[in-house]
Amino acid sequence: MTQITGVTPLPGSSIPVSTPATTTSGMLRAPLYVAWQVTNECNLACMHCIEESGPGKAFKDELSKEQVFDVLRQIAENDVPYLSFSGGEPMLHPYFFEMVEYACSHGTQVKVETNAHYLSPEACARLKAAGVKAVQVSLDGANPESFGRMRVRGNFHQVIEGLHNLHEAGVPIEINHSPTGFNAHEIANMVDLSAEVGADSFYTGRTMYTGNAVKTWAKLNATDEQYEQFFATLREKTEQYRGRMRIHFHEMGLLEELQYRLHHPAALLIVLPNGLVKLINALPFVCGDLRRQSLTEIWAHFQQAWQDPRVAAFVHALEQDPGKTAMLHQWISV
Amino acid sequence: MQLGKYVKFREEKFGGVLFETQSEKVYTLNPTAAAIIRELGSGCDATELTQRLADRFQAPMDTIERDVAALIADLRQKGLVEDARS
Repeated sequence: MTQITGVTPLPGSSIPVSTPATTTSGMLRAPLYVAWQVTNECNLACMHCIEESGPGKAFKDELSKEQVFDVLRQIAENDVPYLSFSGGEPMLHPYFFEMVEYACSHGTQVKVETNAHYLSPEACARLKAAGVKAVQVSLDGANPESFGRMRVRGNFHQVIEGLHNLHEAGVPIEINHSPTGFNAHEIANMVDLSAEVGADSFYTGRTMYTGNAVKTWAKLNATDEQYEQFFATLREKTEQYRGRMRIHFHEMGLLEELQYRLHHPAALLIVLPNGLVKLINALPFVCGDLRRQSLTEIWAHFQQAWQDPRVAAFVHALEQDPGKTAMLHQWISV
Repeated sequence: MQLGKYVKFREEKFGGVLFETQSEKVYTLNPTAAAIIRELGSGCDATELTQRLADRFQAPMDTIERDVAALIADLRQKGLVEDARS
């Protein structure tokens, strides 16, 4: 019998236990995580939206119902353990609940990333019945003022009501928070509010200079001093809530993260509303098209695509010109 | 005994992976550990599991018991297994 070595992180990871985002993907037969932006349509028009989503912003060529369910079938057949639905606002997708129910019933753990404006008691009950792993709600302010400044057209009270409905239905809640110059000082209140609404996890990190944030950076950008205090508070809160709510935060900036990824591609595929598959959200590179290729074919090409010299060149160019992230949606096939 | 509610197992050429989706942590398993997890999927207890592996690998029971106990202790400590829900 082979000696059991137990559970260990994948080779190549520099941290004791890896995550899908930091797991070396080359050894795996399929991705561990598919992050699917199911539509670019959104009821809000947030100042920092990486996808530049908003009302009337659905792509003209978003996947048809038949194509959507073909992708879901492939995800199930490839035994992809984890799938997130985001957008835009995923709950605006015409087949949202059917997609969630299909994925959950085929053994995939599903996370829904939403702005929480459509979380009625009935919707939450249906998500609970489907068996979603969690619903992640974006909450970028601890009060209506800072929330409304960031989440244009958003309604803070509606989000809190949606969170209440999730909690009542027994759906696990995760909160995602983007810091800015005008809300970073609220981080202690943000964490406390997340615990009050019954969140199991709280996620945050530096807001990225991508998407809408490129245009609004002067209003958004938090200073180094603000971030220093922000992360110090998070470290204190992590201890305070240990055993009650998990607090996850990453201090790495976008450039550092992309430099790391060049050598450690994540075990993660980003699927766009039209079926194109990106190497990583914050780069314009596309490594496949689910309308024309299978998930297996795209995964087989994924590692090679990361080695395309244009990818490294783009990341190196970002060191000199961070504004190149404005080209995020001008896709380049690799 | 069974995998935790939020733990997914997938077999790979090198053995397998366990993905704990709540903490979003990934663990790799060598072929033997993967074989144990596969047996765990049937919901059997440690004794049954050891017997099945002994039959399968034609190995001494005490060696297998030691290996299984060590792995299960590690899995329990990491919150990756739980007692079977009735």
